[in-house]
Amino acid sequence: MTELIDRPTTSTPEWLLRAEPGLCPCGCIGKRHKGSFVEKTLRGGASVLRQVVFSDDTATRGGLLQRVDPRVKVLTMVGLLLAAGFVHSSLVLVGLYALTLAAAAASGLPLGFFVKRVWLFVPIFTGIVVLPATLSIVTAGHVVIPLWTWDGTVEGITSQGLATAARLVLRVAVSISIVVLVTLTTPWSRLLAGLRGLGVPKMFILVIGMAYRYLFHLLTVVMDMYEARKARTIGKQKHDKAARGFVAATAGVTIGKAHQLAEEVHQAMTARGFRGDAKTLDAPKLSLRDGVCLLTAAAIAFAALFVDGLLV
Amino acid sequence: MCKDLHYAYLDKFTALDGVSMHVARGERLALLGANGCGKSTLLKVLDGLIFPDRGTFHAFGQEVTEDALEDEQMSEAFRSRVGFVFQNSDAQVFSPTVREEIAFGPLQLGLGREEAAARVDDVLAMLGIADLADRAPFQLSGGQKKKVAIASVLVMNPEVLLFDEPTAALDPRTQMWLIELIEQLSGAGKTIVHATHDLDVLDRIADRCLVFGEDHRIVAGGTPGEVLGERALLLEVNLVHERTKLR
Repeated sequence: MTELIDRPTTSTPEWLLRAEPGLCPCGCIGKRHKGSFVEKTLRGGASVLRQVVFSDDTATRGGLLQRVDPRVKVLTMVGLLLAAGFVHSSLVLVGLYALTLAAAAASGLPLGFFVKRVWLFVPIFTGIVVLPATLSIVTAGHVVIPLWTWDGTVEGITSQGLATAARLVLRVAVSISIVVLVTLTTPWSRLLAGLRGLGVPKMFILVIGMAYRYLFHLLTVVMDMYEARKARTIGKQKHDKAARGFVAATAGVTIGKAHQLAEEVHQAMTARGFRGDAKTLDAPKLSLRDGVCLLTAAAIAFAALFVDGLLV
Repeated sequence: MCKDLHYAYLDKFTALDGVSMHVARGERLALLGANGCGKSTLLKVLDGLIFPDRGTFHAFGQEVTEDALEDEQMSEAFRSRVGFVFQNSDAQVFSPTVREEIAFGPLQLGLGREEAAARVDDVLAMLGIADLADRAPFQLSGGQKKKVAIASVLVMNPEVLLFDEPTAALDPRTQMWLIELIEQLSGAGKTIVHATHDLDVLDRIADRCLVFGEDHRIVAGGTPGEVLGERALLLEVNLVHERTKLR
């Protein structure tokens, strides 16, 4: 065993051995400043990480959809997305949305979280498209909210425009709900295995899997660098040239580290016999439950299209 | 067997400067040296991951060169006989789940899927990490990642095991577990080569040591007892400080 003999080994500067008074010895509370965009972005990254861990937790619960094979889930997802895309009746879309809520509840997903996750994205995907569509200059019809007059004609929001907008919003909500249902009830690794089972090229899956895995690693590296800087920053953090320089330097260092890591990962793969054609474990066999799920989803899709045909 | 190996990164930063050595079957060899002296580079040469600028390396009666490893049969034989545990477990654990990570090696080397899956289960049970099988690597602690990295190599049942700084950054319990595992593998006849500057566990993990100087050459060799007795040498190669007390 080795140990250091208790004697000073370096010439320590005198000031380092002296206690330094704090910058605010009176202990008063100074001005508070909101975090910078860099901090907010990194916090966002950390929150994504927490959500992924949470998603993995929900995906491993013993609910209805968690027991279904990922290949079947991917197939039914595509089928139901197509059906939702072809449906024109808002009533049928409401029915489909209600079914996604029921499936979420049966799979043990917290409904509040599920609804929030879906409706957070709906305005992003539909907002820009839907708003102009409600106007009479885009969708002609009966003006219910007049906004201006053009050449003696009242222009504004039409009832037909509102109906189109509602249909589009509902369709997007149903589609996102279906995708969120699959992602929240399937662990990422099994989702990849499912895609592999459906014939997506192995190399494609390998690259996606590795990109996902190292995204978290590099995110941690960036957060560590930021925290190390923050720990040594006294006073208000300025958003000046130096701050921008830090962002650029962090990006540069991260790219360098990513490059080095990529080389090491390739060596680790080569060391275990990788020669360009990745071989992977087989996805598990399908069960009766998976067949029932597939048939139920097909029945829902056909029923939705049939009822839609009757209503429209 | 290595003869007069020279290697420089970017043709500029020397890592090996005329290194010659041999490793006998079933031997436990420790490569000792300070940071940056070339230990890890030598391990990568021994695993056929990088190739020397000058000098030769022979393994299992064949010269190992880039050209030779292009041969599918030679590559498969060599990769299945030599396993490498990297210092950076993050680089070694690259698959989406622990199970797929451990199965990677056997599958690349042509083992059937059922046999590979059975081996994975055996290794998971042996290392006591069966509960991690379906976990993602980013959910593992440093010690757990190291265990997965070791499992991913042991599952291939290689004759030669190369460990780069095996005990670095491990907590005492995991360190002891690893030392005991190395003793057990050595008892089973495996050839083990470590790169380390941890002198505390030397007598337990090595039969013979080679000491690297900071000039990237091998400056001495001997049993752990002999090397640890050469205080002047250890001081010169920066393995101990003048005030370090060896026990």
